[in-house]
Amino acid sequence: MKKFLLFALFLLGMGWAISNFTGLATQGIYQSIVLDFQENIGEGAIAQQVEILQTKYQLSPRLNSEFSATDHVYIVQGDRQQLKLLKKNFAKYAEYIEPNYIYQTTDQGDYHSNLVPNDPLYGKQWNFRNIHVEKAWASTKGNGVTVAVIDTGVSQVPDLANTKFAVGYDFVSDRTEVIDDNGHGTHVAGTIAQSTNNNLGVAGIAYEASIMPLKVLSAEGGGTVTDIAEAIKYAADHQAGVINLSLGGAGESSAMSEAIEYAYNKGVVIIAAAGNANQNAAGYPARYPHVIGVSALDVMGAKTPYSNFGAGVDISAPGGVIDGDDEAGGILQNTIDPDTGESVFATFQGTSMAAPHVAGVAALLKASGLQSPDEIINVLKQSARPVAEDPFNHFGAGHLDAGEAVALAEKGQITFRDFFRWLRDNGYLNIRFWLDGGAIALVPKIAMMLGSYLLAWIIRNYFVFSWRSSFLHFGLIAGSSGLFFLKGFYIFDLPQWPMRVMGSSLTELGGTIQGSSVLNPLFASVLIPFVLIILLLSHPELKWLAIGSNIGVSSALAISAFLQPTIWGIGSGAIAQIFLLVNALLCFGLARLAVKPEVRLS
Amino acid sequence: MSMKITGKIDKKGFGMGTWALVSNSGEVYELKNAPAELKKKGLAVTVTGTIRNDVMTIAMIGPVLEVESFS
Repeated sequence: MKKFLLFALFLLGMGWAISNFTGLATQGIYQSIVLDFQENIGEGAIAQQVEILQTKYQLSPRLNSEFSATDHVYIVQGDRQQLKLLKKNFAKYAEYIEPNYIYQTTDQGDYHSNLVPNDPLYGKQWNFRNIHVEKAWASTKGNGVTVAVIDTGVSQVPDLANTKFAVGYDFVSDRTEVIDDNGHGTHVAGTIAQSTNNNLGVAGIAYEASIMPLKVLSAEGGGTVTDIAEAIKYAADHQAGVINLSLGGAGESSAMSEAIEYAYNKGVVIIAAAGNANQNAAGYPARYPHVIGVSALDVMGAKTPYSNFGAGVDISAPGGVIDGDDEAGGILQNTIDPDTGESVFATFQGTSMAAPHVAGVAALLKASGLQSPDEIINVLKQSARPVAEDPFNHFGAGHLDAGEAVALAEKGQITFRDFFRWLRDNGYLNIRFWLDGGAIALVPKIAMMLGSYLLAWIIRNYFVFSWRSSFLHFGLIAGSSGLFFLKGFYIFDLPQWPMRVMGSSLTELGGTIQGSSVLNPLFASVLIPFVLIILLLSHPELKWLAIGSNIGVSSALAISAFLQPTIWGIGSGAIAQIFLLVNALLCFGLARLAVKPEVRLS
Repeated sequence: MSMKITGKIDKKGFGMGTWALVSNSGEVYELKNAPAELKKKGLAVTVTGTIRNDVMTIAMIGPVLEVESFS
């Protein structure tokens, strides 16, 4: 009973919400009204009605266009009141009388244009356009992923004000406060997650991800492998999903190699810069197994003069080149001036800048649902734009492509986002579609379903009733309304009838496959419910399906009798109404009879 | 293990700038703990120092040479 009360409350709430909704009909803009006269009343009668419009209502009806003459579609000036008046007096001559809504183009522009951030210096970030980050932003911005920046520290510059931070650690000074005294770490963090769409400075790749600042390098820009190894373990133990190592050296270290294995086994993706010595083979830590080594590209996508190459390079990303005073080819982010400690927008170059591009995209992939480091490495490599001729392995798998990577990550998995996007793209998320679109008459459907539950509740008051049987609910819904919301769904290139069948009630099935809304007297009657009762009454469970169907059909027929009593072969007059009401009563009676034996048994 | 390297001082453009020693044979060393007097572009010097394989840096331009003295 409690469940039923809750359900009744839910229906009541839904009904209230719908009754309070102001649809397009009360919001749309119109200054004129369309009248479409019925052809079968004859040319003479139409001309007469047009004259009445002119003389009695002082309107000047005109054909909508030269093509409207055969259909007799007229336009008259008028507002809401006029529309009411015309509907009242001309309904019997017209196919429809409705507002002549003014449609406007929606100013949404290009699909990706709303993904171009408003950061004023974004135009200088050629590197982000080169990796197609806007396409990736259409799906994810890295929310929920933590990226550890193991570097010179990260200072809270103004363009990191909206960026989320995880608790970090300063391994150089052994304290929890992590301040950048070099400018490098803050710049790297900026590429990964600079505050974006904040009308300030520049953008970051995974700007909804969190930065975990771990300081291991001094103001001079160097640090020991011991500190770096500890920082890697710290990150793995504190839920970092991605580690960026824009640092390197020549020495192999088992402490570091162990730390990397530890983090990898905890599911952390580790990215490191290949090094800036223009030498064959990446340095450490880029060359360790399970570390993605990144070489650096210039604006044109060529290897930068400084970037290491060869063994250990897994992928390439923008690192930029600063040519004397010409900084346009560098990577621009917000950082600090180490001499003054003040915020500056500075252009840097290096494989240090290339690695955080990959780290940012790895965060996007993690946010897209990829879990293991291997999966992420595979997707990064597979989605990279390959370089045809690369005899020295300047580029690894190719040029990093954020857009393709995220697309590949989401391929095959139908994400909630895809479903949501599909709904949105097809207009299903707009409630006006449901109420005004004409795809389904929502109010009668709700009334039918409500009615069926009301009838079931009435019977329940007199007889023992099993609300718990899901067959009963299935019957109630199938009989009364069907899964009516399915009717509004159209999927490209698929036949429409399966959706219509699932979306129809038993009473509507007769016309469903052809897509007709006229009721078929065989289906819109007691016939099917009666057959169901005969077939299923002896079954202890399935009989509830039959009973539910009876009650549901009863409700649907009764409501149809008042709202849309058009029956094939009978028409839409009083006879049709009586036919529907009698059948509704028969269904209800059958349901009562079918429930009765339960009383005797109990 | 101390070693002596002769060459010219250079400043490489990584991060805010990194001081380097380019040896006469063309090898690039990243200078660690370089005193202010050494930070002069084009200065011809002989640096005495130790290679620090246990240090990693943001510059990644070559072996890290910790300066002990120079002449």
